[in-house]
Amino acid sequence: MLNRAFLYLIGVAILSAASFMVTRSVVINQAPMTVMTTIADRIASGAGGWNACFHNRAYGPRLESARRANPDSIISSMAYDLSEGPVRVAGETWPRYWSISLYQQNSDNFFVMNDLEMASSSFEFILALDGQDTTPFEGVPIISPTEKGIMLIRRFAAHAGDMDGIIANQDALTCAPASPLPG
Amino acid sequence: MKYAIIMLVALGVVAASFFAASTLTVNSLTNPNSVFDTFEDVDGTWLYSDKIGAAAATQVERARVAINGPLGLSATEAVYFIALHDSVGEPLRSHCTYRVTGQPIDTRWWSLTLYDSKTQHYAPNAENRSSWNSVSVPRSDAGDWVINVAPTPQPAAWLPSQDRPDQAFDLMLRVYNPSEATRAILPNLDLPIVERVSC
Repeated sequence: MLNRAFLYLIGVAILSAASFMVTRSVVINQAPMTVMTTIADRIASGAGGWNACFHNRAYGPRLESARRANPDSIISSMAYDLSEGPVRVAGETWPRYWSISLYQQNSDNFFVMNDLEMASSSFEFILALDGQDTTPFEGVPIISPTEKGIMLIRRFAAHAGDMDGIIANQDALTCAPASPLPG
Repeated sequence: MKYAIIMLVALGVVAASFFAASTLTVNSLTNPNSVFDTFEDVDGTWLYSDKIGAAAATQVERARVAINGPLGLSATEAVYFIALHDSVGEPLRSHCTYRVTGQPIDTRWWSLTLYDSKTQHYAPNAENRSSWNSVSVPRSDAGDWVINVAPTPQPAAWLPSQDRPDQAFDLMLRVYNPSEATRAILPNLDLPIVERVSC
């Protein structure tokens, strides 16, 4: 009788430990994706949809920014979804500092390039999934490991006087589903 | 009947364990005091990590960064340092005055930003300032700089901490496009010294 009760107890302990470990692991693995989905939804709602640019126009810190946002880096963002085809991002770099960074669904920064690494101040990228045909489009292909993700473009604003130039730079930025070259 | 009771007990155990694990795990990932546990302690003041946004990060590191400071740049582009303590190892507190003294950093640009450690947002202040950067900070001829962190106005470069007393805050140093020479010695740069002046 005692033996059987002891076995039950062991069984319960193993079951409880296994359930604890599995849940913990699922929560830890899901957390970055949950955060990414929340941020992507917020960007898409600000931009009026997926595959569109959303600009921060304000200089200085703001409480509505993401946690630990950098107020000296003025950001344009895009929540992308490549399920219906590649997305094109084109515009001009910003001389103080400019970078384009791409984040996959698990939040890893899988691609980053800054203005000093570019051949010219004009840029044109085609964001695509592996296997999608990018040949009909102009632009440098970037392959996203996941269908959805987030793009950020950072520009260094040394002081408020940089903002007019940065806003003009934002207005010259295009984020949209890629269309084939005419003809 | 007996098996039904056993099954019920088993289900109860799994459910209890599930709720305990979810709550404990979420709490541990969101606890501001443990966010930087996996960062390397450089000099007693500054902590460093090159795993921001990196494929090499562990799942726990990735989850903590995603929750507490998402969308950082990978170390190939920018490196991040964070100070939770002053030069004698005391936690940074909002009602104290600190002098942050820095040497030139061989990098394209840098910024020093103050965050409320609890909310992980900026501390609202009348100046609407939470940072200084390598261009805006006043410098000596040698390139040295001083930033005064305090809740009340300070001479020269004032970085306001919040009005509410006894709140924990931290300083984040972001170094963008560090030179090859800087990269070679990471994370052992001549990092700013954070001295407590008064409390």
